[in-house]
Amino acid sequence: MAEEIKPDETLDVRGEICPNPDVKTMVKLKKMEKGQILEVLVDYPLSVERIPGNAEKNGHKVLKVERVDGPNHKIYIEAQGGQK
Amino acid sequence: MNPLILLGIPIGLAFGFALQRGRFCMNSAFRDIIVLKEYALLKAVGLAILIQMVAFAALDMAGVITISPLTFFWGANMLGGFVFGIGMVVAGGCASGITYRFGEGMVGAMSAVLGLILVGLMTTMGAFHPLVVALRGATTVTLADGANLTLANIFGIPHYMLAFGIAGVALIVWAIRSMRGKESPKKEEESVSLGTKIFKKGWGWQATAIVIAIIGILAFIASTAAGRSYGLAICGGYWTTIQSLLLGQNLIGWLSVMLLCTILGSFIAAKIAGEAKLRAPAPKVLIQTFFGGCLMGFGAALGGGCNITHILTGVPQLALSSILNGAFIIFGCWTLAYFWFVRPMQNL
Repeated sequence: MAEEIKPDETLDVRGEICPNPDVKTMVKLKKMEKGQILEVLVDYPLSVERIPGNAEKNGHKVLKVERVDGPNHKIYIEAQGGQK
Repeated sequence: MNPLILLGIPIGLAFGFALQRGRFCMNSAFRDIIVLKEYALLKAVGLAILIQMVAFAALDMAGVITISPLTFFWGANMLGGFVFGIGMVVAGGCASGITYRFGEGMVGAMSAVLGLILVGLMTTMGAFHPLVVALRGATTVTLADGANLTLANIFGIPHYMLAFGIAGVALIVWAIRSMRGKESPKKEEESVSLGTKIFKKGWGWQATAIVIAIIGILAFIASTAAGRSYGLAICGGYWTTIQSLLLGQNLIGWLSVMLLCTILGSFIAAKIAGEAKLRAPAPKVLIQTFFGGCLMGFGAALGGGCNITHILTGVPQLALSSILNGAFIIFGCWTLAYFWFVRPMQNL
């Protein structure tokens, strides 16, 4: 099923240096409500590899990692919400 | 010119390729233990050190290379390491990190390299040089016969015995831990070809460590053949290249050739994986990475080397200077990472 994912919020961390893409994504997810979907635009390879694992480790649900072009990726994550 | 400096070409290309594929950056390795609870790169650094520790000792015994610890000047090692560690957090990458990202096309890394070259040269030969001479001079310690200190020679233990011993103990600890640890559920392996794994996907930490260690060992042999008794390093390569190209000094040697090819190797790796693209952060971030590079340049020039010189190549030689300098690089990195990332995240 190639269902279109509709994000509630988009975080653009393209061009950001290490580890800001990872940190900003985790901070953003922490602030979102349960079930809301975050779209992360990222072009830093190490973060593309680590954000999904870190998000899962923090209880969020990774819906899709999509390569756009070159190093550009979109990562869709469903927030767990209510984190302390 | 010694034609053997050209051996730096294949070593550099391979090193750059492996750095880019393995995302080998010690800033991420050390910083993310406390920021993200990530340990993969740290394990890669640890394993690469252990493999080289055994290999360097064996090659030294065989007379192929000579263990060449750097001079122990505790004041310069501590201050240099600490400033370098802070600098790499500001720059968003260690010496190897900014070098491979330079090849990938990340302009923030290029700006850090610029700072590292500028202030590095000011420290090795310019305005800050008197400070280096004074601090090193006041805190240098050697053995009575003038030999540079290692963990082995300060206790009078044969080098190979201690190197094999440390590696052996690490292996036993590792084995016990993995036996005690719960069998982690195997992730479903994607069925991809070996070519895809090598050229398209980021490498796992074990592969990264083994490849980097092999390159480090070959680098020591090749560099020795070219008349330089040391292994991988980075900062000195930038400085000697610029000194030769812009300042009219003839310092092009194995290290400068290797370094330039490292950048090229990283570009090739990124190009094949489709990750090469010129991309710049906001001007504010460019200034930040430049400033971080400046701190790194000062720290490396004062302490006698960057994280590659000290941690990747010096620690496996059991050099006391490198162990102390490396510890202070980590200390500097953690200090700033705590205030910049850990505390703000806790306070959310």
